[in-house]
Amino acid sequence: MNTEALKELLYKIADDQLILGHRNSEWTGFGPLLEEDIAFSSMAQDKVGQSWQFYKILNELGESDPDTVAFMRNADQFHNCQFVELPNGEYDFSLIRHFLFDTAELIRFTMLADSTYEPISQLAKKIRGEVKYHTMHANIWIKQLGSATPESIQRLQDSLNQAMPYALGIFEPSPFEDDLISSGTFVGEKALESEWKKQIKEIIDQTELDLPDMDSLTPAFGGRSGNHTEHLQPLLDEMSEVFRVDPTADW
Amino acid sequence: MSMTLKSLDPRVDRLGIPEEWASPMAPKESLDQFETYEAFVQMKENKPFEHVGPVHAPNEEMAFLFAKEQYSRRGMFCHALCVIKTENIQTTGFTDNNISIYDSIESMPSGDESESFEVFHLLKRGKQHKYVGNVNAKDFEDALAVAKQNYPSEKPVFNVWVARSEHILTSDDEDRDIWETLKEKQYREAIDYRAQDKIKAFKERTSEA
Repeated sequence: MNTEALKELLYKIADDQLILGHRNSEWTGFGPLLEEDIAFSSMAQDKVGQSWQFYKILNELGESDPDTVAFMRNADQFHNCQFVELPNGEYDFSLIRHFLFDTAELIRFTMLADSTYEPISQLAKKIRGEVKYHTMHANIWIKQLGSATPESIQRLQDSLNQAMPYALGIFEPSPFEDDLISSGTFVGEKALESEWKKQIKEIIDQTELDLPDMDSLTPAFGGRSGNHTEHLQPLLDEMSEVFRVDPTADW
Repeated sequence: MSMTLKSLDPRVDRLGIPEEWASPMAPKESLDQFETYEAFVQMKENKPFEHVGPVHAPNEEMAFLFAKEQYSRRGMFCHALCVIKTENIQTTGFTDNNISIYDSIESMPSGDESESFEVFHLLKRGKQHKYVGNVNAKDFEDALAVAKQNYPSEKPVFNVWVARSEHILTSDDEDRDIWETLKEKQYREAIDYRAQDKIKAFKERTSEA
């Protein structure tokens, strides 16, 4: 197996989980209702925990330890898609992102459960349940607010339109796409994207929302190779504040 | 230029909320709450469902979600979850002093088994109602008569809840993995925060001074 290809795959997954985990944690204390405050905080911890597990596999492949990798890189060294670094905005945007991203993540982990690379397939199987709940949570909320009142429907529709080019950026192809597919490590972003389109349509069709015409949109690519929006660096500065003051700080 | 709201939470300061927004919330109309649902948790496969508490929700699916957030813990602590709209649970009166509520039920089962009901018993005041089983009967009262016959209890039953089976939303067997979680999650547990050494060191430092 091509180690560079493997690392690229692991970094983008780990960075997605870490950055969205941090964004989710920003809802702590601000949730629109107590249950959502708890839900977003809990999903934040899940995602950060998942990123840690992926960084540990990277560590075994020769990368620095998880804390250093998470806290000491600058924005241009991160491989997350731009979608996850966007500010939370209002709850409607966070909810739409949660729905679009986590649907893709559940499919990704389901596909990776069959990976020929044992450490990934084992981990994917272990965290599938967590991500499955995240999508269950997202789907129920989208179905509820996507058909509730004119305001809730309009807000979700606006956020969906705004989010979609970034959501398509999740599937930015890797330079190692062919290696990953031929080695059976991962079935590839194209296969993931087409399954994702099918699944989000199934949910959106149960609401008053309209899916934007995805073929006419330009996906927000660049994140996987370190090109980010202006929103990522301030997030990293805040996330690594304690670590940079005292790298030995411990629980 | 208006002042921005100052808070002890720096995240609030960063939002730059105008100070005048700090006015108290407009009074709400009464009765704007969602309806209530009762949540029941099954901790292990061979244990009965137990009542854990109510949630407010606009529908059954949302109630399930809120119940999952509020009342279920992952790891070894939840096997399945169900919710029933409170108004769909028929309750008997309460008894006390070792008298069973079933003593006051004298009717015999009608023999009409056209509807399916689920039965919950309260065996200790102050504890939760626990699931005892399913009965087929023609209505709630008939269900109680069947339950009296099918589920005799050595201990007195102080109160019984009965709900139509069709009114219960239960987690799917295949979704049991939503309660699975990674073992290495010490950072989530307060127990992993060991302050004793730090407190000891602090005490030694201050007593020397």
